[in-house]
Amino acid sequence: MATPTDLLQGTLDLLILQTLALEPMHGWGIAQRIQQVSEDVLHIGQGSLYPALYRLEYKGWIKSEWGNSESNRRAKFYKLTATGRKRLEAERASWDRLSAAIGLVLSKRMEVS
Amino acid sequence: MIVKFWTWLRYLLFRKGRQELDDEMQFHLDELITTKMRAGVSETEARRQALIEFGSLDATREGCEEQRPGWWAGMLAHDFRYAVRGSLRNPAFSIAVIVTLMLGIGSSAAVFTVVDKILFRPLPYGDAGRLVSVGLVAPIEPQEFMLGGSYYEWQDNQKPFVAMTSEAGVEPCDLTEVNPMRLDCASVENNFLPTLGITPVVGRNFLPSEDRPNAPKVALISYGLWRTRFNRDASIAGKFIRIDGKATEIVGVLPAGFEMPRLQAADVLLPESLDVAAQRRADPGRPLWAFARLKAGVTPEQAKAQLGPPFEYSLRLAPAPFRKEVHYTVRPLRDRQFHDVHRAAWILLGLVMAVLLIAFANVASLLAARRAGREHEMAVRAALGASRLRLLQATIMESLVLSAMGAVAGVLLATALLRVFVAIAPGGMPFLSAAKIDGRVLFFTLSIGLLSALGFGVISGLGRTQANVLTSRSALGTRRARLRQVLVTTQIAVSLVLLAGGALLARSFWNLQRQTLGMNYENVLTATISLGQTAYPTAERRMAFFEQLQRNLRWGPGVTAVAMSDSLPPGGYHRDQIYASLRVEGQPRFASGTGGNVAWRWVTPEYFRTLNIPLIKGSGFTDDEVASANRFVVLSRSLAEQMFAGENPLGRQVHLASGAPADQDPAYTVVGVAEDVKNGGLAAGEEPEYYRLRRDREEDWDRGAVVLVKSSLPAATMERWMREQVASLDPALPLEVGTLRERIAKLADQPRFEMLLVGHFAFTGLVLAIIGLYGVTSFLMVQRKPEVGIRMALGASKRDIVRLVLASAMRMVLPGAIAGLTLAFGLSQILSSLLFNVGPHDAATFCGSTLVLMAAAVIASLIPAIAATRVDPNSTLRVE
Repeated sequence: MATPTDLLQGTLDLLILQTLALEPMHGWGIAQRIQQVSEDVLHIGQGSLYPALYRLEYKGWIKSEWGNSESNRRAKFYKLTATGRKRLEAERASWDRLSAAIGLVLSKRMEVS
Repeated sequence: MIVKFWTWLRYLLFRKGRQELDDEMQFHLDELITTKMRAGVSETEARRQALIEFGSLDATREGCEEQRPGWWAGMLAHDFRYAVRGSLRNPAFSIAVIVTLMLGIGSSAAVFTVVDKILFRPLPYGDAGRLVSVGLVAPIEPQEFMLGGSYYEWQDNQKPFVAMTSEAGVEPCDLTEVNPMRLDCASVENNFLPTLGITPVVGRNFLPSEDRPNAPKVALISYGLWRTRFNRDASIAGKFIRIDGKATEIVGVLPAGFEMPRLQAADVLLPESLDVAAQRRADPGRPLWAFARLKAGVTPEQAKAQLGPPFEYSLRLAPAPFRKEVHYTVRPLRDRQFHDVHRAAWILLGLVMAVLLIAFANVASLLAARRAGREHEMAVRAALGASRLRLLQATIMESLVLSAMGAVAGVLLATALLRVFVAIAPGGMPFLSAAKIDGRVLFFTLSIGLLSALGFGVISGLGRTQANVLTSRSALGTRRARLRQVLVTTQIAVSLVLLAGGALLARSFWNLQRQTLGMNYENVLTATISLGQTAYPTAERRMAFFEQLQRNLRWGPGVTAVAMSDSLPPGGYHRDQIYASLRVEGQPRFASGTGGNVAWRWVTPEYFRTLNIPLIKGSGFTDDEVASANRFVVLSRSLAEQMFAGENPLGRQVHLASGAPADQDPAYTVVGVAEDVKNGGLAAGEEPEYYRLRRDREEDWDRGAVVLVKSSLPAATMERWMREQVASLDPALPLEVGTLRERIAKLADQPRFEMLLVGHFAFTGLVLAIIGLYGVTSFLMVQRKPEVGIRMALGASKRDIVRLVLASAMRMVLPGAIAGLTLAFGLSQILSSLLFNVGPHDAATFCGSTLVLMAAAVIASLIPAIAATRVDPNSTLRVE
């Protein structure tokens, strides 16, 4: 199982931004969503999730407000800001470039061996 | 961009509440538990699993806190508060570190300031790096000079210089106006200022037409004279003043920082006004000092290589005895100015580096000792979750706080030390009085402080932080102790080097003070008089003045002898001629080289009695001889032996230099041989010497004389009386009065300064090394307390314990002492030129310094040793 530390530097930020792009969500929800969507490959522990959320909030890419959860409990919801949305686009583009490049390198290696 | 800044600022100022984060995580945890329960796990089990999965809450809190902008600053502030509290809690340790740094940094900043003024002072000339001093050197005048007979040949035929110029020396002159003033007038060539790159602040430079014989008199005045005498009169150019009675037009004012290249004091510049054609024909011609500006890209060495042909020309003009001994040199002006001071400056830098080294070793070992003492605390902090980086940051902050305080104290000490240096420095150290702690020195000090803080922090922070320290009963940190021992050994070695150097200089100074000068200087008062051109225009007037003064003084209170000379032993200025130019009637001329210098003085008959110089042959000068038309001379013992080799010199005729061609030198009758007197300065060798009698004839008198009065009355009374006597003859005459003893003591200023400086550093070094040794020994003892307790419980006596401690101290001291002795033996050679009558490897000095060091070391380790014997075995056993 991939632990969060195995994630590339900055990847967690990208995942969070992407998740929040669909709808505002609380921390628990974000972790669950990433786990589901990744088909149980990526487990995000609270120890890396909350510092990442704080970091993004301090950077002004997301903002938070208290609301009621599905189970009708008080929870803090995070939501993408305009800057955050722009940032997501940029991060995605660069991720696509990077993964394409890595894919290219790896496929070349396959041919050689 | 602005939005981003506002976000940053908002979070910087309003930190998120901790409660908010806790609520958020509680929700997360609850959701996790609910999910697990939904999967069919019991509530207790679900909670247990969730808590395990969830992990440490504190780490997350810490992690979120670290994301906060400005988190770093907050942490630094926290560390700073912690460091200040820590150093207040342990004042003895903090003071030791601060004092050590203060001594090290203070001494080095003061010395750096002094050395900076000497070695790196900017010269007050345009593009001064290209200025060189050019000239001939000979054993009789090792500082380069030029002669009028060949100077113009050099100037015409030189290739490496943009321009070449000369000055003809500085002489006293009188400003003869309403308030007469004695001034120093320098004679310079008309291209002097342009070559040095100086433009007058008011008016203009000399014109070539003004630098000719019989040209109308013109002068440039110094900024100081312009300010004090002429009140910064902006329209001064074109005004006339009277110099030595002649109307002279002021054409300009020199800039404020102007200096003569040879650093003589000068109030007025006058044109040399030499008759160039006559100088070219003259042999040797007027003595000159030449300076030149190198063409771009030419080095002094290249310039020297290109100046062979004019040098050959000079050599052809030189008298035969000189040819073998004359060379020429081209060197940067700075080198010429600081000829003698360079070596002292470098020695000083070496000393201060040694002290700095000891100080740093001291601080490092103190910090290392403290660090070892705090191993337990560090381990606890690490166990509570502080990362190694975090601990290192805290340690660096602690040493930064201490170093900053040390640096500030150091700057204060440097200011005080500088005052002391200036007060005790001899007059020969140029520009010392202008030395000030400036921005660069502050920068130097602060960077040393900062670097030391980083270095010490890393050294003391990099020890291993082991959790097992918490479990082990007594930490016998032997590995880390090795570093401290090496540091102490180094300190001992370096301080022994300093101590040996200081002791050598002290012994040399002692020898210098105790040596026999060949004369008795007690109860002798001297007055130096130089008669002005205007008041005493003729030799007749001058002689009349001096003879009248001598008559008046002779019958003064308690006066037993009065003499007049033109110079005084043992040092300073005196006349000389080369031995080869002396000729004994009936003997062939001395033909191999110059034969060295022979000193001589003009004296009156009572000279020998006043100074108690014994006459070993003949009776010396008599009053009959004073009135005679013949000339008489007294030889020194060594000169008599050199000239007459065992024959009786009395009554023989010798021809002495007179400025006339050598074969027309007048003959003098030898009437006595006097015992040798020290005459080449306190430390230098002695020259053969002779005394010419100042007769009752104008030709034997010139402007200057030193009056010697021997009296049984106290010096202060005599001084006042002498001033009165001179004033009664000429109230406007400036004169310098003092005892001969003071005059001689002044000659020892330079060696005294050197001895005090080296002594200061040796003492500082020793104190630091002893603090270091004491600190480390007592620290080791604290660490070994349990061991000592067990030993005592097992029956060891107090004596055994003391022996144990001393042995461990000596294991650090002995290798240091051996290394120090070896190093001192190698390095003391540098001092050899400063030493007088003591070899650089003087066995007694080396043994003595080693003994002093060892004694201090034993005392420093005895105190903790005795403390160790007070360990109560019971308490140790209980702890273990």
